[in-house]
Amino acid sequence: MIDVVGFVISWLTIFGIYSILSLSLNLESGTAGVTNFGKVVFYGAGAYIAATLTTYLTLILNGVDVTETPPYDVRGIVLLGELGSRNPLMSLGLLVLSLVVAFVIAGALGYLLSYPIIRVGPAFVGFTLLSFGELMRVFLQHYEPVGGNKGLMAIPTPFGWVAESRVREVAYLGLVMGVLATTYVVIHRLVNSPLGRTLRAVRDDEVAALCLGKHVPKIKAKVLFVGSGFAGVAGVLLAYYLTSVNPNMFVPAVTFNVWAMIILGGCGNLKGSLVGAAVVTFVDRVLTFVTPYLGVTVISPDYLRWVIVGLLIVVVLIVNPRGLLPEEPIKTPALEVVSEELGGGSG
Amino acid sequence: MRAVLEVRDVAKYFGGVKALDGVSLEVPETGLVGLIGPNGSGKTTLFNVVTGFYVPDKGEVLLRESDDLVRIDGLNPNEVFKKGVVRTFQIPRLFNSLTVLENLLVTPLGQRGESLVRALLRGSWSGQERELARKAVELLKMFDMLHYANSKVSELSVAHIKMLETIRGLMTPAKLYLLDEPAAGVDYSTARKLFTYVRKLRDERGLTFLVIEHRLEILMEYVDYVYVLHNGKLLSEGKPQEVVSDPKVVEAYIGA
Ligand SMILES: Nc1ncnc2c1ncn2[C@@H]1O[C@H](COP(=O)(O)OP(=O)(O)OP(=O)(O)O)[C@@H](O)[C@H]1O
Ligand SMILES: [Mg+2]
Repeated sequence: MIDVVGFVISWLTIFGIYSILSLSLNLESGTAGVTNFGKVVFYGAGAYIAATLTTYLTLILNGVDVTETPPYDVRGIVLLGELGSRNPLMSLGLLVLSLVVAFVIAGALGYLLSYPIIRVGPAFVGFTLLSFGELMRVFLQHYEPVGGNKGLMAIPTPFGWVAESRVREVAYLGLVMGVLATTYVVIHRLVNSPLGRTLRAVRDDEVAALCLGKHVPKIKAKVLFVGSGFAGVAGVLLAYYLTSVNPNMFVPAVTFNVWAMIILGGCGNLKGSLVGAAVVTFVDRVLTFVTPYLGVTVISPDYLRWVIVGLLIVVVLIVNPRGLLPEEPIKTPALEVVSEELGGGSG
Repeated sequence: MRAVLEVRDVAKYFGGVKALDGVSLEVPETGLVGLIGPNGSGKTTLFNVVTGFYVPDKGEVLLRESDDLVRIDGLNPNEVFKKGVVRTFQIPRLFNSLTVLENLLVTPLGQRGESLVRALLRGSWSGQERELARKAVELLKMFDMLHYANSKVSELSVAHIKMLETIRGLMTPAKLYLLDEPAAGVDYSTARKLFTYVRKLRDERGLTFLVIEHRLEILMEYVDYVYVLHNGKLLSEGKPQEVVSDPKVVEAYIGA
């Protein structure tokens, strides 16, 4: 029997995590026109921050000498399994700490990486960030304190102290949905504000925006701070969900998955980001769930994943080149002022 | 009358092309000054030098700041805008996916809702936003464009696009407005309306304009002083009647 409830929970959790990524990419690339091909950098940074902080602090706070028993060591992993689920307060405290630190550090990284962007010009932005992601991955593969190629395992989870596994999964899903809702509200507000309007203006015509006094590089740095901060948060949620991180999880394909979501859903439309994330993660989950039942197959489901997503994009773009949902006008009180005038004029 | 803008012996070369070759001119406070010349005479290049797009190869550009004239050549375009110089483009550069209203609302400086933190707090900027929207409505009404307020730029006619560029510039108070062929592609009566409004702004609010225009029959009726460029050099200057009867100007236009 296929575990339907389990499927839905795991799909919604992955959907929530990816939605945070697609919403933030939509802010950066859909709204502000920064071609961020390095989304995975900040996602990975967030995941590694959560993994590192949680494993090291769990050991240290329990009186373990991490110079002798580091968390990537076999003994460390065993200890983490024993200690991680003991103290609810510690688990939740580490969650909050990871979320805050990941937002700030990933955000700051995005802010700093905008500097070369200003130097190389818009066409190379994507590739600068893409290469940086690969550099980071190679660095992590060889950096011993975070486990090198093996990464970090047995990361204590925020709800590890909950005995019943189904309850634990639902609680975690609730957390992910809460963070997603917050992300949506924040980005929705940013887009529907004078700042959002300026971002779209910069995207449409940088030169004209510059002539209207807009400091284009600063604006892009700000956007990358926010977008990368949220990507970091998504990374935190991923690390706790999978309870392990390793460098090979953070390949460029992750970035392009998120791009597929915003292209499908519609660049510049936030609801579209949710729809895109739902569709792509659904395909992904179905394949993951079905694979074990297939036995030996001619084509690996992994390849099918890309074929299906690719086909979906082609079909959607043929029907509507702007994706499923079009960008909407910015909603500010200015609209009311105008509609009062228009209504009064005709009446 | 004091000068708002003073261009002193400015030169700009593109390889062998002397787009500007030692040009000096002045725009007085509350002036409505025309800048004319045959195609390729350097008019747009002069705007580009004044607004920080190009650094001049020679000479200085000065802008009034209370009792002083300060150099603005070498500043970036966004800094020049902040000093109080607004320009429009010969080939319009609007924000094409934005509505007419949104295009106008991009212009004003110092919008509270443009800060990252304040953007999240609607209450902190919605009052200012309404105020700016009323200003936009007033300008749109003046140009008979209010019913296009919620249209996208991509749905507008060429004439409306051209007008919108001018209106967008007028959304912010500035020391000097540089208009690059505001009436190109605009029908005769609308063009006259546009110039009438520009003159009205000058008369009633004391704004200052430097206007490039090829349609001399309209321009000459409105401006109080004209500079004529030819091959990057100042060919003639004076009151409109003086300039049109200057044999050198007539020859340049016919020769070109
Ligand atoms: N960026 C540039 N690179 C090379 N040459 C340029 C550049 N900009 C302008 N020029 C040249 O400088 C000269 C002056 O051009 P400019 O655009 O200032 O003329 P204009 O008076 O505005 O003409 P028009 O009435 O056709 O708009 C022309 O010969 C033009 O080809
Ligand atoms: Mg020109």
